[in-house]
Amino acid sequence: MMNKQVFKISKKVVFWCVVAIIFVYMLFPFYWAVNSSLKTESQLQMTPATFIPRNPHTLKVDFTLDNYRSIFTNDKFIHGLLNSTIVSTMTTGLALVVGSFAAFALGKLRFRGKTPSLYLILSMTMFPQVTVLSGLYAVINKLNISALPGMILSYMIFTLPFTVWVLTSFFKSLPRELMQSAQVDGATPFQTFYKILLPLTAPALVTTGLLAFISAWNEYLFSLTFTAIEPASRTVPVAIALFTGTVSRQEPFGEIMAAAVVVTIPLVVLVLIFQRKIIAGLTAGAVKG
Amino acid sequence: MFKKRKTVGMTELGKREQRLAYWLLLPTFLILFTIAFYPLVQVFYTSLTDKTFASNQETNFVGLQNYHHLLGMTIKELPPVIDEDTGEQLLNPDTQKKVYERAIRILPREPVRFRELFQFGFLGRRYVVGAVDREFIRAMGDTISFTIFSVLLETLLGLGIALVVNSHFKGRGVMRATMLVPWAVITVVSARIWEFMLSPTRVGFFNVVLQKLGLGDGQIAFLRLPEWSMPSLVAVDVWKTTPFMALLILAGLQLIPKSLYEAAEVDGASSIRQFFTITLPLLRPSLAVALVFRTLDALRVFDVFQVLLAQSRYSLASYNYYQLIGNRAMGLASAIGVVIFVLIFAFAMLYMKLLGVDTE
Repeated sequence: MMNKQVFKISKKVVFWCVVAIIFVYMLFPFYWAVNSSLKTESQLQMTPATFIPRNPHTLKVDFTLDNYRSIFTNDKFIHGLLNSTIVSTMTTGLALVVGSFAAFALGKLRFRGKTPSLYLILSMTMFPQVTVLSGLYAVINKLNISALPGMILSYMIFTLPFTVWVLTSFFKSLPRELMQSAQVDGATPFQTFYKILLPLTAPALVTTGLLAFISAWNEYLFSLTFTAIEPASRTVPVAIALFTGTVSRQEPFGEIMAAAVVVTIPLVVLVLIFQRKIIAGLTAGAVKG
Repeated sequence: MFKKRKTVGMTELGKREQRLAYWLLLPTFLILFTIAFYPLVQVFYTSLTDKTFASNQETNFVGLQNYHHLLGMTIKELPPVIDEDTGEQLLNPDTQKKVYERAIRILPREPVRFRELFQFGFLGRRYVVGAVDREFIRAMGDTISFTIFSVLLETLLGLGIALVVNSHFKGRGVMRATMLVPWAVITVVSARIWEFMLSPTRVGFFNVVLQKLGLGDGQIAFLRLPEWSMPSLVAVDVWKTTPFMALLILAGLQLIPKSLYEAAEVDGASSIRQFFTITLPLLRPSLAVALVFRTLDALRVFDVFQVLLAQSRYSLASYNYYQLIGNRAMGLASAIGVVIFVLIFAFAMLYMKLLGVDTE
C-alpha cells in the first residue's frame, strides 16, 4: 500500500518537473532577450553575464530603457516596422479576398475540373519557394513594380494556397441547404456567397488571416532579395538582421534585443488571444490534408 | 443535336454556376501563374544559360554546363609516397602516419579544376573526393544533415510536449499558450537572440553555464568552430519550430477517441503499453503530415544560416541567394534552384511512399 502511494507521488513529481522544464525551455531565450535589452553597453559586456541587469560595480539591480529609446529614434527600424505592417496587412487582405473566392468555388459550386484545380493548389503548398527566387525577381522586374507591391505579390506564393486549402474545407462543412434556400429566395450564387456564407466563415477567416499575417511578418528571403537595391523598403526581419549601431563599431546587441522584444510582443499577444482558434484551424488544414 | 447535348449536359442554372466558379477561380490561378508557374519555367530555362543578374551583358545558351559545375565530382586514388632509399612508403617523422601524394597534384585541373572535398581510406588505399564547386556540395551535405537532425529532434520533443499538454492538469491552458511563444518569434529575431546567447565569451549565456558546469573554458566560439556550428544551428531551429510540430501532433492526439484508452484501462494495460499500441499507431497520419511539412521546410532553410553563419557555411538556399545577389550569376543560381526543386520533390515522394500518406 505504502509503495503504491510513493509510486504515485513520484510520478506526479516527475510530471511536474517535465512541465517545468518545458516551460523554462520555451520561454528562456525570450526572457534572455528582455533581460539583455534592459542592459547598458557596459552591463552587456560583464563576465559572467548576469541573469538580471546589475550594476557592474555594486552588483545591485539596475536597468535602463536607453535601448528602447534609441531604436524608436532609429529611422531604419521605424521604416522597417511600417513596411512590415503594410506588406503583412496587404498580403493577408489579398490572400483572404482572393482565397475565399476560390475556396467558395471549390467547396460549394459544381463545375468541371474541380479535382485537378484543388490538387494543383494543394501541390503549391509543397512548392519550394527558393527555387523560383531568380525567376520571381525577373517577373517583378518585368512587371515594373517596386519592392513593396513586389513583396505583397510574391508572398501570395505561401499564403494563398494555405488560405484556399483551409477555407475550402470550411466551406464544404457548411450545409448545402443554406445555398439552396437562398436560391429559392431569388439570390444569385454570388449573393449567397457574400451575404450568407461569408459571414458564417468568419472564424476560419480569422484563423487563416492570422496565420497568413504571421508568415508574412516572418518572411526573410524574398524581402532580403527584393530590397537589395531598394533599402528604404526593407521589412523588419531584414532591418533587424542588418542592424548596425549608429555609434559603436561593435554590434549593438542591446538595441537588437530591444528591437527583438518590440517586434515579438504584438505577435505573442495575438497568438495568445487566438490560441484555441489556431489549434482548431491547423487541425482543419493539416490533418484533413 | 443541340437539344440532346443540353439534356446530357447540364441545366441553364448549372451552367451559370460553372461559369461563376471559373470566374471565382481566375484571380487565384492568375496570381499563382505569375508568381509560381511562369518563374519556374523561367528558372528552368535560365539554368541552361550564363545569364548575369541585373546587367546588360549578353546571355548565351550553355546547355548543361551549370549543372556540370554544381554536381561535378570525382574520386581519385592517392598514390603512396615511396622512400627512394628503402623502397617503402614514407612515414611522417612526427606522427608516424603513412604519407601519400598531395591531393592537389592528383585532382584534375583541365578542363575545370576540382578541389578537395575530403579523403578516406578503403582497403589499405587512400582516396580523395574532389568537386568542381566545393561550396555547393558542402552546402548540400550541410542542408541534408541539418534537416535530418533538426526534424528528428523536433519530432521527439514535439511529441513529448504534445503528450504533456494533452493530459489533464491544472495550468494546461497556460502551458498550451507558453508552448506557442517561440513560434510567434520571427525566425531572424530568434536567430539573433541565440547569436547573443552563443557569444564566444562569457558575455554569452551558454559559455557562462558551460563554464559553471566545468565544461569548456568559457571561450567557446560556437558559431565559428566547425564542430559546434552545426549543433548550434540545429538547437536554434529546434527551439523555434518545435511548437509547430507539437501543435500538429496535438491536433492528431485530439482525434484519437477517448474510449480506446478507457477500454485499455479496463484491460489493465499500462500507460507505456497504451502509448505503443494505441497512441503511436493512430498518430501515424498526423505524424506523417507533420514530418512532411517540417522536412520540406528544413530543406529550404535560409534565415538561420544566413544570419548566424553569414558566408562561412551555406545552406542550399543561402548559397542560391549568394550566387544570385552576391555573385550575380543568375544562370548558376537558377540551376541551384532546380537542384533544390528536385531534391525536395524526391524527399516528398520518398515520405509519401514510406509513410503511406493518404492524399484524399
